[in-house]
Amino acid sequence: MNIYITDGSPDGFFTAAFTACNDINCTVTSEQNFQIALNSQITEIKNDPVKSNRVRKKIAEYDPQALHDISILLLRGAGTKEMTALNYLRQIVKYKRPVRDMLAVPPIRIAMEERRKVTLEAHRFTGFLRFMESEGGIFYAPFSPDNDILELILPHFYRRFSNQPFVIHDVSRKKAALCNNGKSRIVPVDENAQVILHENEQCFQALWREYYQSVNIAQRPHEKQMKGYMPVRYWKFMPEKQQEKLFGHFRENDGLHPGK
Amino acid sequence: MLDAERLKILTESAKYDVSCSSSGSTRSNRKGGLGNASVGGICHSFTPDGRCVSLLKILMSNRCVYNCLYCPNRAEADVPRASASPEELCELVISFYKRNYIEGLFLSSAVDGSPDRTMEQMLETVIRLRKVYNFNGYIHLKGIPHADRLLMSRAAQYVDRMSYNVEFPSEHSLKLLAPQKSKESVLLPMRQLSIEKCAADSEKGKCRTRFLPAGQTTQMIVGASPEADGQILRLSEAMYRKFSLKRVYYSSYVPVVHHSLLPDTCTGLLREHRLYQADWLMRFYGFSAEEIAQENENLPVDLDPKCAWALKNMHLFPVEINKAPIEMLLRVPGIGTFGAYKILKARKFTNLCFEDLVKLRIVLKRARHFITCNGKFYGSENSVSVRNMLALQSKQEKYEQLSLFSEPQTADSVLTGQL
Ligand code: SF4
Repeated sequence: MNIYITDGSPDGFFTAAFTACNDINCTVTSEQNFQIALNSQITEIKNDPVKSNRVRKKIAEYDPQALHDISILLLRGAGTKEMTALNYLRQIVKYKRPVRDMLAVPPIRIAMEERRKVTLEAHRFTGFLRFMESEGGIFYAPFSPDNDILELILPHFYRRFSNQPFVIHDVSRKKAALCNNGKSRIVPVDENAQVILHENEQCFQALWREYYQSVNIAQRPHEKQMKGYMPVRYWKFMPEKQQEKLFGHFRENDGLHPGK
Repeated sequence: MLDAERLKILTESAKYDVSCSSSGSTRSNRKGGLGNASVGGICHSFTPDGRCVSLLKILMSNRCVYNCLYCPNRAEADVPRASASPEELCELVISFYKRNYIEGLFLSSAVDGSPDRTMEQMLETVIRLRKVYNFNGYIHLKGIPHADRLLMSRAAQYVDRMSYNVEFPSEHSLKLLAPQKSKESVLLPMRQLSIEKCAADSEKGKCRTRFLPAGQTTQMIVGASPEADGQILRLSEAMYRKFSLKRVYYSSYVPVVHHSLLPDTCTGLLREHRLYQADWLMRFYGFSAEEIAQENENLPVDLDPKCAWALKNMHLFPVEINKAPIEMLLRVPGIGTFGAYKILKARKFTNLCFEDLVKLRIVLKRARHFITCNGKFYGSENSVSVRNMLALQSKQEKYEQLSLFSEPQTADSVLTGQL
């Protein structure tokens, strides 16, 4: 059995898919720690633009939207993401046409469910992301999503806050998007960056906590539903779910200042 | 700046209002402006009661000259009073919005001084937000009964949604429990707004004014007065039709005030839940109020209204899953709009068998008794035992089960926190 190891990038995946598509029992993964069967043969994939582009071109021929599906599948924060994408790709190659509606076929159904987990989380974070104002007037939002959705949510905040400079920091993937004045870029950021907060910030966080407590109808507790819609693992960066004020992880003068 | 004390008073008074949905409006951000409104609606947080926080829901003032019996803020009540100025409210909205705490503002008020004075303050707040702060987020404004018509029309040009509460399902109850309000003071503005919206929407060209892009809604308190569910649903149906309402919200009665004319107990959430289910049936499944319940009848407690309807109409079932038109698929208990849509898509490629439905994640617990797959029936023929089985399932699911009725609109129902 062949195991193809990629660098986790879409290019890596498509390069691997060039060979793996017809290698029925193989595994493609970018995970570092996985179980190796005794008889497995490991191949490290070196990104090859010629191969990856050929695969992309073929897929786009059968279904122009499929590349977008696959790009979303590859953002999934699970070790099986490459296999989900590969199995979906194989079905497109098999039927030579768009297959996303053929939900009675298991690999397609699984792919669509996995895809939805990514887009659902992105949708949730358009609501759950929390910004805090720094001394310099930049709005900073740390978060730690299950899937790699920074680029997916960026356009939403970009449209909404076009007149305010802001930073969205994926703490677990150690990267951040810096946006200011119609420009944005993604940079690697250390986990322990620090922000100096604006003097009013704590006051607004306190008002928000006050509001959150006042709108709750205490006679009708339904914690289970709350946790279902707003999983506990997201609470870390939400002021209404924290007793203490939140400190930023981001230092103003470490060169990440958007626009500088 | 608004202090914590007043914020508390002004939000605690506003929280029983259920219509907090922020969906249905698209307002794009203008250059240099702050914010936009998102079509699907966005939940920013959930409170321990399981409801979604989307808008900053707040009163301008809780000083009231009216005396509605059920209301904690009525003139006679001895409660702490507070009010906020338009500027204070604007500042709070903007700072919450910039931190992504909220989707926008839901502004309501007690009748402070006079209806006109109150409405003027509210109007000033929304104009200030739009003009001074360039705010393009969502605004829902509650109309004050008896306020000047022109104030209302002006406000409608700035906000996304307006609502007048009908409060009670009959004129009699309204008179009894909210003596200073009248049927006309609520229904006339609703009619007027729907006419003006219709006119504004038919205007063509770029410079046409935006008029209530998210339409109108209303709210009824259920269980404080004796009207039956059948009557409530008929009223909703009429309002959906006449005023093109976007939604009717049902809020089960919570006694905050003790009075001989009012019940002392909370109306069960189950009743409210059944009403929302019936409302869904009218809005998305093509049912009429007539089909769902008799005028003097309440919805069944042990069955959801769709199951109840199907059991009364067993002669229409079973339907063949590979052939039935969408309208009929939608009437099968257990098949929601999303499920029907999945079936419609999947059956284009292959003749679906029972196992295929399982793979499509169609909930078959109920549906199996009402369908055939390629002519084969998998349910029970005995209608009494079907009824008991369905009732049992319905009991287990209670009102926590969301998926049956709400799948495609989950976002919406989540926003109201009611289903
Ligand atoms: S008008 Fe009636 S319901 Fe509204 S605040 Fe005054 S007393 Fe309460």
